Amino acid sequence: MAASKRKGGGLRGAIRRNWLGYAFISPWLIGFLAFTVGPFLASVFLSFTRYDVISTPVWVGAANYKQLFAGDPIFWKSLAVTFKYAMVAIPVGIVTGVALALLLNMDIKGISVYRTMFYVPSIVPVVATSVVFIWILNPNGGLVNSILLRFGVMGPNWLQDKAWALWSLIFMSLWGVGGSMIIYLAGLKDIPAQLYEAAMIDGASAWQRVRHVTLPMLTPVIFFNLVMGTIGAFQYFTQAYVMTAGGPEDSTMFYSLYLFNRAWRYLDMGYASAMAWILFVVIMIFTGIIMKSQRKWVHYGN
Amino acid sequence: METDRLATLKKIASIVAGVLVIAGIVAIFALPRPQQRHYPKRIQVRFWHMWTAEWARKVSDICDEFNKSQDKYEVIPLSVPSGAADSKFLLAVAGGDPPDVMAQWNPVIPYWADSKLLQPLDQMMTPKQWKEFQDTAYPAAKKIGIYKGRLYGVTTGTNVWAVFYLPKHVRAAGLDPNKFPGTLEGLMEWGKKLNKFDKNGNLVRIGFLPSWLMEFAPIFGGRFYDPKTGELTLYTRENLRALEFLVDERNKIGYAKVVRFESGLRNASSGQGDWPFMGGFYSMTIDGVWRVEELRKYNAGVRRDNAELRRNHGDPRNLKSEVEYGTAPVPPPTGGTKNAGYADGNFLIIPRGAKHVEGAWEFIKFWSGIENPRRAAEFYTWGGWLPLNTAVANAPAYKEYIRKNPQFKTFLDLVSSKDLLTCPPVPYQAFLIDQINRADDFATRGSLTPRQALETLEKDIVNERARRKELGYND
Repeated sequence: MAASKRKGGGLRGAIRRNWLGYAFISPWLIGFLAFTVGPFLASVFLSFTRYDVISTPVWVGAANYKQLFAGDPIFWKSLAVTFKYAMVAIPVGIVTGVALALLLNMDIKGISVYRTMFYVPSIVPVVATSVVFIWILNPNGGLVNSILLRFGVMGPNWLQDKAWALWSLIFMSLWGVGGSMIIYLAGLKDIPAQLYEAAMIDGASAWQRVRHVTLPMLTPVIFFNLVMGTIGAFQYFTQAYVMTAGGPEDSTMFYSLYLFNRAWRYLDMGYASAMAWILFVVIMIFTGIIMKSQRKWVHYGN
Repeated sequence: METDRLATLKKIASIVAGVLVIAGIVAIFALPRPQQRHYPKRIQVRFWHMWTAEWARKVSDICDEFNKSQDKYEVIPLSVPSGAADSKFLLAVAGGDPPDVMAQWNPVIPYWADSKLLQPLDQMMTPKQWKEFQDTAYPAAKKIGIYKGRLYGVTTGTNVWAVFYLPKHVRAAGLDPNKFPGTLEGLMEWGKKLNKFDKNGNLVRIGFLPSWLMEFAPIFGGRFYDPKTGELTLYTRENLRALEFLVDERNKIGYAKVVRFESGLRNASSGQGDWPFMGGFYSMTIDGVWRVEELRKYNAGVRRDNAELRRNHGDPRNLKSEVEYGTAPVPPPTGGTKNAGYADGNFLIIPRGAKHVEGAWEFIKFWSGIENPRRAAEFYTWGGWLPLNTAVANAPAYKEYIRKNPQFKTFLDLVSSKDLLTCPPVPYQAFLIDQINRADDFATRGSLTPRQALETLEKDIVNERARRKELGYND
């Protein structure tokens, strides 16, 4: 005890003991403090100010928050659009990711080629994907409508029709499902083979093995993807920015897109900071709920 | 054996990594710097603009001409991505290192001037120059550049819109292209005759489709701002009539049909050969003055290619055809306002905190023609830009350009009109434009009636102003 006291406890001691390690990670550490922690803390203050980048921030109290909740219809609309997207895209993404992982876990010839094929789209830059999808979803000669036309169906104006635009983006989100699929696949590989053997001895059918062995054992991975998916969905931005710019008629005005417009188009940094903090709280609440619920449905095999 | 292979692989990997690192270092240090000084002893005037490709080259040529014209300053142009130009500019100003001069086309003057970001340019002028400017500059250039009585931006190209039409289509429809309709009703009749549908009723060509409230409201006598009272005038009888007209005309063809047709085309704002009008997908369309220069270049290219084909005894069937086109101002409805419409433009500003204000001002005078309109006229013709004032328009080089490009005359006539409206000079211009376009969109799509759309617009702007007031802004 005395020896450890002499060596120095607490943060100071830790730094003294590990200075070489900190020196090695210092480029990242400095960047993290300057460009993440700094702005993060500054935005708390800015959210209570009127600030346009150029002038000195002027304290306005809770005016930004008050106006957001009381008098900004686009704020509520953007929140609703983002919720709707999250509520559909996250479950659909999970179901598709798990289904794909199950398929790609089969022991068939050329399986690694299939896995690569499904994974590759998720590493294509989002902007490039968005541009390609503008053409895929083109109502007049786009891939989707051309296929539909072969079956005698006149496809809708996907991105220009307010009834379809959000659904088009949800549909497009499946394009990147390969990223979560690869994690599910790793999770599947981790399930002990003896569990399946025991189930088979007990006479479980293929579906029963999936239902009572695979899925429960996969829940930690599903939980992880659910948390990450929720955070991602609430921060959804690039595709809407590139493909629809929030239209038609605000049907794809996602929260982050509106926040961006307020910050950089209207130079309302204080207002945008308030929006960012509301988003942070919303994400924290949802993540908290998911964390809390995990006790009831996530199995860690013990 | 396995160990040997691993060792060889490691060696190869190390060599590859070493080569990559060296190549990276060479690339960083050995490549020429993007901005080379041609006159290192002169005072450097940093100039930001947003043009790219061939437009950027024209701008560079103007800078070269300026640099050659005197021996004190060197203007160094830098093309800044247009999407981020404003934020880069603001951050540069906030960081205390702004450019000396910037070419803008976004409606930024009221806000930036109110924020004390811009140098009032009338202060740089002699009293004679300032008087001359007020007397000879075109009304749109003054509306764009002057805010609260002070000049903050000198226009080097006003953007004005007019009707472009294809005489070939017009003649084929049994109409006379030399008798262009003098009323909007007449224009719509032409449009109806020029629309083409396939057997399933889908559009294959649009005769004329009016759109864009900000362009059409003025010909109905509407406006969005009253300069006398300084108040916005959004929900007015004239604006309502204009919006009702736009909605009615779109409904006549069918909104979904138009969207489907237009989705199959290149973006209507595409440049040059990609412009759907040049492909004959529109018989008549409204577009901006810069298209004249694009069409001139396109036709010159076609002439060059054809001449080459003929020289090489190529198959004459491969000869391309030039685009024959005409232009006309958007005709007003019966009882409406002639030579009216919307205007914006490219203008040069000097930020406060610029290090070389005098050099920047010399450059602005040189390009805009405030100093020597005869010489500047040539620069305007390089880009097919509308002049700042009558002195430039009357210069020989400019007259020659009009002679060679008679379609340009329409725009020159328009730019002298006092009925061209510009974006209302309020500090929340970007928000206002977005909301006007939003109302336009909601009405045209049929989600709101034109009346509801304008009511909502007015309400949203009232709310925004109240919000700004609560935050302590003056307006």
